[in-house]
Amino acid sequence: MQIVINGTACECETGETILTIARRNGIFIPTMCHHDKYPGEGACRLCVVEITENGRSKVVASCIYPVTHEITVETDTEKLQRYRRLLIAFMQRRAPNSEAIAKLMEEYEVPDYSLRSLLTGKCILCGLCVRACKKIGISAISMVKRGTGKKVSTPYDEPSPVCIGCGACARVCPTGAILVTETEDSRIIWGREFPKKRHAAAGKKEE
Amino acid sequence: MKKEILVCCGPGCAAGGSFKLAENLKAAVKACAAEADIVCQVESTGCSGMCEMGPIVRIMPDDIMYYRVKPKDADEIVEKTILKEELIERLLLKHDDGTVAVHQNDNPFYAKQTKVVLRNTGIINPKKIDAYISRGGYEALKKALSMTPDGIISEVERSGLRGRGGAGFPTGKKWRSAASFNGEPKYVVCNGDEGDPGAFMDGALLNGDPHSIIEGMVICALAVGAERGYLYIRDEYTLALNSMTHALKAAEERGFIGENILGTGKKCVLSIVRGGGAFVCGESTALMKSIEGEVGEPRAKYIHSVEQGLWGKPTVLNNVETFANIPVIIRDGGDAFAKTGTAGNTGTKVFSLVGKLRHTGLAEVPLGITLRELICDIGGGMQEGRKLKAVQTGGPSGGCLPASLTNLPVDFDTLQKYGSMMGSGGLIVMDDRTCMVEFARYYIQFLCGESCGKCTPCREGLRHMRDILTNICSGRGREGDIELLEEIGEMMQDCSLCALGKTAPNPVLSAIRYFRDEFEEHIKHYHCPAGMCPELTAFKINREKCVGCRRCAEVCPTGVISGTGNEPHFIDIRACVGCGRCRDVCPKEALETIPVSLWSRRMMKGSRGYLRSVKTPEEDE
Repeated sequence: MQIVINGTACECETGETILTIARRNGIFIPTMCHHDKYPGEGACRLCVVEITENGRSKVVASCIYPVTHEITVETDTEKLQRYRRLLIAFMQRRAPNSEAIAKLMEEYEVPDYSLRSLLTGKCILCGLCVRACKKIGISAISMVKRGTGKKVSTPYDEPSPVCIGCGACARVCPTGAILVTETEDSRIIWGREFPKKRHAAAGKKEE
Repeated sequence: MKKEILVCCGPGCAAGGSFKLAENLKAAVKACAAEADIVCQVESTGCSGMCEMGPIVRIMPDDIMYYRVKPKDADEIVEKTILKEELIERLLLKHDDGTVAVHQNDNPFYAKQTKVVLRNTGIINPKKIDAYISRGGYEALKKALSMTPDGIISEVERSGLRGRGGAGFPTGKKWRSAASFNGEPKYVVCNGDEGDPGAFMDGALLNGDPHSIIEGMVICALAVGAERGYLYIRDEYTLALNSMTHALKAAEERGFIGENILGTGKKCVLSIVRGGGAFVCGESTALMKSIEGEVGEPRAKYIHSVEQGLWGKPTVLNNVETFANIPVIIRDGGDAFAKTGTAGNTGTKVFSLVGKLRHTGLAEVPLGITLRELICDIGGGMQEGRKLKAVQTGGPSGGCLPASLTNLPVDFDTLQKYGSMMGSGGLIVMDDRTCMVEFARYYIQFLCGESCGKCTPCREGLRHMRDILTNICSGRGREGDIELLEEIGEMMQDCSLCALGKTAPNPVLSAIRYFRDEFEEHIKHYHCPAGMCPELTAFKINREKCVGCRRCAEVCPTGVISGTGNEPHFIDIRACVGCGRCRDVCPKEALETIPVSLWSRRMMKGSRGYLRSVKTPEEDE
């Protein structure tokens, strides 16, 4: 099957997402919540594209839209740029301390929307950390509450007894929002301290 | 002679004491049973519709309707109306011209209605399956069992029925595509998670006529080849849950549902899932997640639920009201059903009429009726002295329509074209003392807490919209705010993940579309013309209209109205808190709102400090 992205014909198979096809063909679509290992969230909406089928066009999230028949896709129209600028501004107000978002602001020349916000922090609630933790099989963290008060946390905001301190959540975080304190013999994550065990095979002598 | 006393025990009447009333009536009937040759039965029914005039008692077969009946009236009703066939005048509905309405159809609220979905609600006791059967219940199921699945679906398609949950998707089409997908098992789900502020029709139906929904679901299961069904009912609906639990048990005992339906070997097991109270779980995919036991977050519907729904299997999800229509369609045929309503919008729709109307309650009308007929004929027009300003339809996903558009027919397509939505059928009527900015703010505030918070446009868009609207309402609006609201709204409509986010800006966008000048008045002149936003409201007494009756001075909580009797009064606006109580009591409408200049706002802030007591937009985090 073939779909047309920005005028380029791209080969693809039924069920593949637009994002996968675009990336394979070297077409860039910005994302925040997408990770090849943990696909399918569709939360940040930065990857929105305009598709046209049967003469009607609509905006869809390319990271989760499965291609089932031949469509034309535009990834960078004026409308999409406008939407992305606003979305990035929203993320910046949610996570004003994040360098990654600040860089995006510059890259996309996001104007000052005079949106007021009192929030601090770096988390944009993309949910990657939660998915990573679930995939590993631990599910120590999850999304807590709903609506505008949503956040990522451990149950009752207390150190989780099931957390193994692997740090996968921090590794996948696109904004560096999860605090990991590494010292010589311990790692502190989600309010819990994990002593580091040295393995004899690590090549260092035990004192 | 056999008589029946129907006592409405819907939520509205129950709050007015109808349980106690039913008990008293039973006791009174029992007490006089021996001396008269009248057999009298007291039945508790579901909602009879005119909630505002409840508790309602209807005596059959004479069809006498009593309103606002108190538990202590029970003895009198039995003594006079049942035994002596006398009317109790004070309990009858009085028309404006002084005449009284004895029968149900003497009341214009009922006379203009067409009852299809509510055919049994308010007439039968929902706890008695025989009452449902005696009114033609489960006939359609028997007929459906002799039909082919394809025949059932064709009949539904021919009826033109569109989903009553809000979007208006053709039901037959949905069933046909669910039947076409291979996948075992298939599921049937009934969405009873009604959460719109001011909407109560699904609850009334679940409580008042549970068997019609069960019958509709079983027919659907037969048509699409499902053997398992779930009724998702919100846990706040205690009465509805109670009725439905009872009804499911009774239907199973009679063999209408279960492992072997009426001995045909066909199977359909139904069970109730109680919703935890999240508004977003009314969204179909979030509802399915919730049934699966996960967090109620929607997923993108690029693959439809009829293909991959509950547990990834083909699923038909319909609204309570949609299912309640099905038995009628199968029993009388799709073509007969399609005669009501208009082409493309067949059948009837139940609306919950609320707001500044004279008669509020539950009304079922053919689709295509005008808003004016709904408001003026059924709702009895506006409350005395009030002027119609706008009508809100469709709850938080819908929008408002100005008074000038009340000649529009109420159907799925027209409302959408004018920026509102049919939704599940909530209809809120607003008068000229309702501020449209505050109206929009209220809905956005509601959605801020009820959005699932998964996708950025909905979660952040709502948060910023709420902050901007709160600022406008409290006099901190800025030039460009309206344009910003429109920009955020447009982006949310296109980019949000689910229908909740896509429709969330509707209240704001429709308010801006029809009442832009009111937004501008707030921002530019620090003036709330409706006199609802306290920080932007100051009242002035029109000296020509004031007759000096002192009523306003008596109710003023801050005592700032001065003046002697029979002389025009005066308000010291420096200390007025803008509560509007004076305006509510004034018989001459002499109180007018005036723009408060920035200077006097500062002065008021200094002198009374009340502006500080108004909360700034709070951050939840």
